[in-house]
Amino acid sequence: MERRNFIKISALTGMLATLDACGRPDQELIRFVPEEDLIPGIATWKPSVCTLCSAGCGLLVRVMEGDAEVVRHGQRGLMQMGLAKKLEGNPRSPINQGKLCARGHAGLQVLYNPDRITHPIRRTGARGSGEYQAIGWDDALKELSTHLTALQSAKATNSLSFLTRPLSGQRRELIERFLKVFGAPPAVWYEPFDEAVLRQANFLSFGHGALPTFDLGRADYVLSFGADFLGTWNSPVAQSVGYGEMRQGRSGRRAKFVQVEARMSQTGANCDEWIACRPGTEGLLALGIAHVILSNKLAPQGAAFRAGSLIAGWSAGLPESTPEAVENQTGVNAAVITRIAHEITKSGSGTAIIGGAPLAHTNGLFNALAVNALEALVDRGRDQGPILGFTPDPAIGDAGQPAVSAPTGLAGLNSLAQSALGGQPNAPQVLFLYEANPIFSAPPGTKIREALARIPYIVSFGNFIDETSAQADLILPDHAPLESWLDSIGESGSLQSVVNLAPPAVAPLHDTRAMPDVLLGLASQLGGDVAKALPWTTFDALLRAAYVPLRARGGSIDPKTDDDFWTALQAQGIWSSTPGTASAAGSRSAAGASSPAAARRAPTAPAAPEFAGNADDFPFHFLPYVSQSFGDGSLANLPWLQELPDVLTTAMWSSWVEINPSTGARLGIQPGDLVEIGSQQGRVRAAAVLSPGIAPDVVAMPVGQGHDNFGRFASGRGANPLSILATLAERETGSLAWAATRVKIVRIGAPEQATLTLFSEGRSGFPHEEESR
Amino acid sequence: MSHKWAMVVDLDRCTGCEACVVACHAENNIPTVGEDQAARGRAMHWIRVERSWEGDFPNPQIRFQPVLCQQCDDAPCEPVCPTYASYHTSEGLNGQVYNRCIGTRFCANACPYNVRFFNFYNPTWDLPLNLQLNPDVSVRSVGIMEKCTFCVQRIKSAEIQAEAEHREMKDGDFTTACAQSCASKALVFGDLDDPDSEVSRLQSSNRATKLLGELGTKPNVSYLERGTWQDATSG
Amino acid sequence: MGWRKWFLVGLALGLCVWALVKVAPPSRANPSVQADSRGPSQYLSSGVFTTAHSSATSAVTDFLDVHPEHPAQPIAYTHKVHLANGLKCEDCHVGVDQGPDARIPGVAFCMTCHQAIDTDNPEIRKIAAYAARGEEIPWVRVYNYSPSAHVKFNHAPHIRAGVQCASCHGDMTTQTTAERKVNLNMGYCVQCHREKQVSVDCELCHN
Repeated sequence: MERRNFIKISALTGMLATLDACGRPDQELIRFVPEEDLIPGIATWKPSVCTLCSAGCGLLVRVMEGDAEVVRHGQRGLMQMGLAKKLEGNPRSPINQGKLCARGHAGLQVLYNPDRITHPIRRTGARGSGEYQAIGWDDALKELSTHLTALQSAKATNSLSFLTRPLSGQRRELIERFLKVFGAPPAVWYEPFDEAVLRQANFLSFGHGALPTFDLGRADYVLSFGADFLGTWNSPVAQSVGYGEMRQGRSGRRAKFVQVEARMSQTGANCDEWIACRPGTEGLLALGIAHVILSNKLAPQGAAFRAGSLIAGWSAGLPESTPEAVENQTGVNAAVITRIAHEITKSGSGTAIIGGAPLAHTNGLFNALAVNALEALVDRGRDQGPILGFTPDPAIGDAGQPAVSAPTGLAGLNSLAQSALGGQPNAPQVLFLYEANPIFSAPPGTKIREALARIPYIVSFGNFIDETSAQADLILPDHAPLESWLDSIGESGSLQSVVNLAPPAVAPLHDTRAMPDVLLGLASQLGGDVAKALPWTTFDALLRAAYVPLRARGGSIDPKTDDDFWTALQAQGIWSSTPGTASAAGSRSAAGASSPAAARRAPTAPAAPEFAGNADDFPFHFLPYVSQSFGDGSLANLPWLQELPDVLTTAMWSSWVEINPSTGARLGIQPGDLVEIGSQQGRVRAAAVLSPGIAPDVVAMPVGQGHDNFGRFASGRGANPLSILATLAERETGSLAWAATRVKIVRIGAPEQATLTLFSEGRSGFPHEEESR
Repeated sequence: MSHKWAMVVDLDRCTGCEACVVACHAENNIPTVGEDQAARGRAMHWIRVERSWEGDFPNPQIRFQPVLCQQCDDAPCEPVCPTYASYHTSEGLNGQVYNRCIGTRFCANACPYNVRFFNFYNPTWDLPLNLQLNPDVSVRSVGIMEKCTFCVQRIKSAEIQAEAEHREMKDGDFTTACAQSCASKALVFGDLDDPDSEVSRLQSSNRATKLLGELGTKPNVSYLERGTWQDATSG
Repeated sequence: MGWRKWFLVGLALGLCVWALVKVAPPSRANPSVQADSRGPSQYLSSGVFTTAHSSATSAVTDFLDVHPEHPAQPIAYTHKVHLANGLKCEDCHVGVDQGPDARIPGVAFCMTCHQAIDTDNPEIRKIAAYAARGEEIPWVRVYNYSPSAHVKFNHAPHIRAGVQCASCHGDMTTQTTAERKVNLNMGYCVQCHREKQVSVDCELCHN
């Protein structure tokens, strides 16, 4: 046909084709009557608690009306409901004082994550196959209760195990009480980066088995041994507030900050002086500095008292810790050691902090005791007392209970695994899983994956399928934190007692149920002593009973009646003690330790660290570090955090290995090359980043990527450094010595084989790298 | 009362924690582009923390610097926009009018700070992540340039609120999402036309500098230089 | 050929435009929120170009500023009758002086009066049926802005400034279901802003 006609006809048919697409409305969902009365466009701010790390920051949630797709009476439809739009720090919290960290903001993406489990499911295929069938709550709870009554009938209640991460507040209480009255062993409180070593050291040195609180805003000299206190360690937001103060918050005074570490962390990047110290020798370095102070009498006699007396040779002035000797042990210049000793004592108020890798060695407790002794020696504050303090115990429930359940660490996990693998009579028959992912985060030597395979019945209460909950037979999904009644007791970050308590900020989006309510429901179904010990029908009733007694302690809420107190507490989200009144004397006892035992303790001699792997075959120290984006890996399924550029490398969506440039040159490794890091336990591969901020014999890798089953954003991405760790433990506490594994490095290939996405440079080796932006 | 919005960034307080980056994403409906697009340099971080390394082991030094739209008085992005989508508002902001933007990207080309981001594709949110979107802020579609607006929705909201209460605005009535989250108080936002505001006070510090000020862009963001140990002065 | 060819093309085009105008569905969805949650993430695939509008229809109606003037509603509601009975706009459209939206009342709100008033009316029976099913009445939107206008209108400052509802919504005492009687284009807004000497800064409304 002629071209003109062809064009005409094509044009006409084209138009008619598009016409065809119109006139058909979208499949419209019905709209349910709303369950809340909100004015559209107007925000209400509700209090809540951030649960993404253990700091216990207070939140304010911006709630606005919006349309959500929900299921009601088995039918899908739209409903106007309060939606969480933004999180901010709660200004009432003495801990975070209205501020919030990067991870805290991303908590919204837990609530609205597309990979959340939306209703109870029961496994139909093999474990890990991902085949499930939907099951109603009533049936699910009936099934669960059947398993428990079976244990009761068989007099095998000690075969119930509960595996979770250390929790604060009444969730902890509820779980402990349930297990105790049921006749089951105590819970296994596991997280990979627990702070058991530091709590034990603080108990011995200062009488408080708790995480420390540093009033950095009053400091003039901060000497930190490995603590990422501005990033991920302890109470990072509170510490950052203090940091800002100590730098530019006081006219005429600017504190000096010295960081001692083998790999420059985000915190270390802000220091005035960076000191590279051989891994595991930080305690020796602290003693070297202490030696100079003691021998030159730069501090008052007996200043370190109890903390000092725990160190062998202290009263003699630490004769073996001369700067020259310590230089040999640590690699830190003797002149630097001497100078720092003079600087810190001459400053108005100095403080020494320890955290992170130095505690994660086989001699971690010694390192901590040594730094604590140095801290006691130098920290005399100016007018208001020492910089180091401890959050007073509000004494909810049993007096002297630590704010956070003592982590059972590797020991607890090992004993669970061995009991399951050993096939003993009291081997676990039923396992409850909640907020713990040891298949991902525990070293392979714990054999936890094999152990779980032996446990006949596993129930998970988590929000997501992850490597561990994929082994569950029944999943009873908990509400997201913002949909839950939340409470926690501040362990550190403030010198006031802090109790966070908040009702749900938004209504549940899916067919989920609060884990505490499920436990209480189970208790009532089990009847007998269990039901009697847990008489509440809902968690908020339990919370009310637990916290209304706070009213007698005065503090930030001043009501006339118990009801008023409860209402005010829910509205404000936080109770705090009046500053300066609560005594810090209420001691927090570390599990199993008591003061007389501490007093009887023989002084600790300096201990050298041990490593897994010999130095010839495995020439490098391996440092897996807690990620600024993902914490211990549990936040890798949040897209904002995946796309957040790592502040030191700008890497997004990636794993990488940090190697010193001279090491890279020696091994022929170029930036972006694919390298393999191998330990005795296994191998991981990732792109190499050449960084001047790491010692030549150390390689570092951020924790968090390397999930194989954790949703669409995290799965199949990067590598998991925890999977090649040895199961070395700190000698006394049994805590995982995650910095004690040695590795070797092999170059595998060019950048095209690795996937490293950098915000500053695009993808290294990406075929289109010639394209300009 | 007129307003001239400005920000001061104290580099001695900034710790590189990047809370500001995530807070901005949450507040302003910034899309997550995914790994592929991020590898092509299309990730959209309206505020980012730059870092520069100096020195070698064992004495490396890093300096962090948050970079965001400088809201320049003499913005190079404004004269190059053919549709007047990039324009200067009466309150000293560099405004970006999304519906005018036709996606020529001349503005991003002209900007020396690399703070303008283009939507090469329609942004998507895997449901129900879209439930988090802020209704006070537009969701930009394909072909539109976007950048930091100094949280103009909060500015507007605070102005409307002050008007409703028949009063003048005062320093601290509101702030931008990034500054609100900054734990070390490195980011301070406020009104330069208010002589008592925190930004007015900090801007006159002897540590104050402008980023690429020599280009003549007249940025409204001032950076206070990082101190050294010997410094005993505050800002 | 000549004029016949062009006449045919023009006729075809005219037919198309007429068809679009008559048949175009009201645009409800935000074109930017397109991802389906069930499959693998959009993020993990390489960029696929999608248009700013979901169909040519929607693009053309948007460009020509075509709005349904008086869409059919599921219930034959009449503003005329309610206003004549002494109700004021803000009695049902609660929150119009507090925030950006003048909300359409929910079925529960209607039933507060209509559980007793005029219960025999078939339209009221329909409302009661929705309420009994726990379902909201699926009102069809009359007033909105095209998403590509990126405009945020805020009712509250206008109400506080004393702007009459009728200025933009027309005289509701003559309307049954809502009709878009006033051409609410940007010129209309700017003209009034200029007269009242209120800011016409772009970012006041477009942000």
